[in-house]
Amino acid sequence: MRKALLVAFACTTLAGCGSGIGPRASEAQKGDGENTIELAEFPDRPYWGDTHLHTDISVDAFGFGVRLGPEDALKFARGEKVVATTGLDAQLDRPLDFLVISDHSDAMGATRRLHDAPRLLIGDPTLRRWHDMMRESPEQSQRAVAELITAAANDQIPEAMRDPVQQAKATRDLWTNHVALLDRYNEPGKFTAFAGFEWSLMPDGNNLHRVMMFRDGSAKTGQVVPFPGLDMKVEQLWDYMDAYEKNTGGHVLAIPHNSNLSNGLMFEMTAPGGVPMTAEFARRRAGHEPVVEATQIKGDSETHPLLSPNDEFAGFGVAGWELGNLPLTRKSTPDMLPGSYVRSALLRGLTLEQRLGVNPYAFGLIGSTDSHTALATGDEDNFFGKHTGVEPRPGRALEPQNLGTREGRYGWHYLAGGYAAAWARGNTRAEIFDAFKRRETYATTGPRMVLRLFAGFDFTASDWDGDWVRTGYTRGVPMGGDLVDTGKAPVFLISALKDPDGANLDRMQVVKGWIDANGEAQEKVYDVAWSDMDGKRAPVAGRIPAVGDTVDRANASYTNTIGSAQLRATWTDPDYRAGQRAFYYVRLIEIPTPRWVLFDAKRFGLKLPKEVIEASVTQERAYSSPVWLRPAAKAGTGKT
Amino acid sequence: MIRSWLREPLVHFLLAGAAIYVLVGWFGNPYGPTDRTIVLGADRKAEIAAGFERMIGRAPTDSELDGLIERWLREEILYREGLRLGLDADDPVVRRRLATKMDELAAASAETADVSDATLEEWLKSHPERFIDGGTVSLDQVWYASEETARAALASGRVTGNPISLPRSVEAMPRAEMREVFGLQFAQELAKLAPKPEWQGPIPSGFGWHLVHLRARDLGSVPPLAEIRQQVEADWRSETIAERRERAYRLLRDAYVVKKR
Repeated sequence: MRKALLVAFACTTLAGCGSGIGPRASEAQKGDGENTIELAEFPDRPYWGDTHLHTDISVDAFGFGVRLGPEDALKFARGEKVVATTGLDAQLDRPLDFLVISDHSDAMGATRRLHDAPRLLIGDPTLRRWHDMMRESPEQSQRAVAELITAAANDQIPEAMRDPVQQAKATRDLWTNHVALLDRYNEPGKFTAFAGFEWSLMPDGNNLHRVMMFRDGSAKTGQVVPFPGLDMKVEQLWDYMDAYEKNTGGHVLAIPHNSNLSNGLMFEMTAPGGVPMTAEFARRRAGHEPVVEATQIKGDSETHPLLSPNDEFAGFGVAGWELGNLPLTRKSTPDMLPGSYVRSALLRGLTLEQRLGVNPYAFGLIGSTDSHTALATGDEDNFFGKHTGVEPRPGRALEPQNLGTREGRYGWHYLAGGYAAAWARGNTRAEIFDAFKRRETYATTGPRMVLRLFAGFDFTASDWDGDWVRTGYTRGVPMGGDLVDTGKAPVFLISALKDPDGANLDRMQVVKGWIDANGEAQEKVYDVAWSDMDGKRAPVAGRIPAVGDTVDRANASYTNTIGSAQLRATWTDPDYRAGQRAFYYVRLIEIPTPRWVLFDAKRFGLKLPKEVIEASVTQERAYSSPVWLRPAAKAGTGKT
Repeated sequence: MIRSWLREPLVHFLLAGAAIYVLVGWFGNPYGPTDRTIVLGADRKAEIAAGFERMIGRAPTDSELDGLIERWLREEILYREGLRLGLDADDPVVRRRLATKMDELAAASAETADVSDATLEEWLKSHPERFIDGGTVSLDQVWYASEETARAALASGRVTGNPISLPRSVEAMPRAEMREVFGLQFAQELAKLAPKPEWQGPIPSGFGWHLVHLRARDLGSVPPLAEIRQQVEADWRSETIAERRERAYRLLRDAYVVKKR
C-alpha cells in the first residue's frame, strides 16, 4: 500500500511513468487503413518514405548519443521542426508520406536501459564498463557502442544482454507502447506510420541485415515482439514471419540492405553455408523479401565498376564501403562482389531460375536512410549524419568513421541517404505495403524525381497522346511486373520528371540483364532518352556527350541551365531474342550537383583536400524496380 | 489571478517539496544525505531484488541478495559521505542528471494531465495558424519549356502546351499536395494569382513555364476541435511542457545574479 502510494505520487511529479501520455488513436488509425479513404483508380503518384530509421531504442543509436525517440522521429518525418540531439533545429523541407521506424531487435532498448540502470546491479564487468562509458561523455559513449558492435560481430556480446527469452521479456513493454504510438501518428490519407524493426544478422561482421515492415496496426503487431537476429538463420526469420501471418492474419515483409557490406553473402548462388539452393528455399526468399534497399547512407549497392566495366555510371557511392564488411573485420575480395551488389544479384536470380524454376532474387528496389539520429534526412543540404556523433559539425567530413576500427572509411564516404518511392492508390498502410509487395517501387539517392515505367508488347509512341497511365496498366505491367514471352520484343513506356525543387535530368537509361544462348549472364546499359537529344548531344560514335557541370564547388551550388525537366521514351529492346530470360530496370540520372560535403565546407569554412572535393560532386539517381521477361511456361525452363 | 498563480511552476515545486516532506514525515523514514541512520525496509529489499531480476533475468538467491544489499549499503554510505564532502559539485554527470530531473519536475503535470475540451478550444482559438487546413486548389495548367513560347501561346489563344507527365487538370487538390507535385516555386507563384475564368501566366516552376486556368481556391479554415482533437492536444502538451520548463527556469534564474567577467 505504502509503496503503491509512493509510486503514484512519484508518477504525478516525475515524468516517464509509462507512455500512456497523450491522445488516443481512432479505429481508422489503428488498422491497416483499408476502407478508410477514397482511392484512386490506378496508382496516381509516388508516395515518399524512409523505411530504415533508428531512434533511441536502437542499441547502437542510443550509445552513439541519440536522445530523440520514435515520437520525435514521427513528428520530424511529418514535417514538424524538432531539436536534434546536438541542439540544432532540424526540419524537412518537404514532409515524407510514410515512415518505418526500424530499430534493432537485438537488445532493443538495452543501451537505454543499461544507461539508466543502477550501476551496482550490473553484474557483468563488460556491461558495467559500457555503462560507465555511456555516462562519461558523448565520445566515450560512442566508443562503448563501437566496442558493442565489434563484440556483436565477433559473437562476444555479454550473455546478460543477448538471451532472447530475457530480451523478449524486456522488449514486451517497450514494443506495446511503441506500436500504440505508431497508431497515434498514423493518419490514413495523410501520413502512414508502419511498425517495423531491423533484424541484424551479421555472421563474422558480414552484413545480412533486413528491415521488417508490417502492414498492420497495433492489434496485430502487438501480438508479437521484434525477433532477434544475432546467431540466427534467415530461415528462422521467415518462420517468424510465417507464424505472424498465420496467427494474426496480418502481413509482413523483409527488406535486405547494405548488401555492399555483406562480403558476398547477401546474394549467394547457394543457400547459406554453401549447401545447394533448393526451389523451396528460393521460393521462400522471393516470397518474404520482395524489395531490396539499394542505396542508403552507408553506400550504394546498385553495381560496382569491376562488375560492370562498360557502365560509365557504375561506382556511385562505392568508395570506402567496398573495402570490406560492416566493422571492417574482413576485407572484401573481387570474387565476393557478385554476391554483394543488386544488379549481379538480379542476374544470379535469372541463372538460378533457369536451374530451379524459381527466381530467389526477383526483387524490386527502394532507397532509404539508415539514419541513427531519428531524423529521416535524405537531402544533401540537410544531412544530419549517420549517427549523433556526426551530426553537423566542422570535423565530421574528414574524420575516420569506421565502426569499430579506424582505417579506410572517412566521413565524406557517407552518402546523404536515399528515399523509397511507392506507386500507390492512396496513402494508407495497406496501399503502400501492397505496392512494396508487388514491387511497384523505386529507389532514389535523395531527390524526388517522378519515374514511371510500363512494359508490354504493343505500346507505340502515340500512346502518350491519350490517357497513357490507363493504357499502361491495362495493356502492360508497371515496374515490378512480369511479362511472359510472346515471341515479340517488349516495348517500354518510360516517363521521368525531375524533382520539382531539384536538379534537371541528364539521361534515362534501361539496364538489361539476360541469360544468353550459352547460358551466360549478360548485362547492357542503354541510353534511351537524354537532354538535347537532337541538338548538341547527338551521339558521337555511339556515345552520348557528357551533360556538363555547373557546380560551383566553393558555394555548393549549381544551375539548371543544362539538362532537362522531363524525359520520355518509347523504347523497344533492340537485342531481344525469342525465349530469352531477362530483366529490365530504369536508371535515371540527374545533372551533377554538390554533395553534403561541399555544403559542410561552405557552412563551416573547411578546407578540403583535392581528392575529397573531386568526390563531392556527383550525379544523383533513381533506380526503378525491374520488369522481368520470362519464357512462356510451355516452352519449359531449359535452354531455348 | 489565483488561477494563474496556481499554474506557476515554482508553486508546483514548492508544493511537491511540501508533499515529499509530509509523506516522509508520515512514513517515519527520515531520509537525507546528512542523516547517519539508514532504514532498510522490506520495500528497499524488494526493489534491489527486482532490479537484479530485470538485469539478470532471474530472482537473486538469498546469498546474492545479501551481497547486493551490502553493496547497496556501501554505495549509499559512500554516496552520503560524498555529498558531505561536496564531491557532487563540479561533476558533469551529476549536474546534468539533476538538471534533467528539475526539468522533468517542472514538466510533469503537463505530461500526464487529462486536458479538458475547453482548454483545447482556447488553444485552438489562440493558435489557429497551426491547425489551419491547408486549403485546396482547382486548376487546369499547360506546360512550356520556354517563357516565350508560353507567352506566344497565350497571345494566340491556342493554349495547348507541350507534353509533360504532370496533371493537366486538378480538382480540389490539397495545397500541400500541389506543392509536392508542382514544386515550391509553382506554389509560390500560384499564390499571387486570383481565380479567373481566363488563362493566366505564364508562371515559372522547377519544370519550366505554365499557363494556368485557376478555377477555384479555398484558403482553408480551422477545422472544429472534434476533428483534430488529437493534433491540438499533442501540440498543447508539448508547448505547455516546454513553456513550464522555461518558466520554472526563468523564476529560478531571476533569483540569481550572474557576474560575467
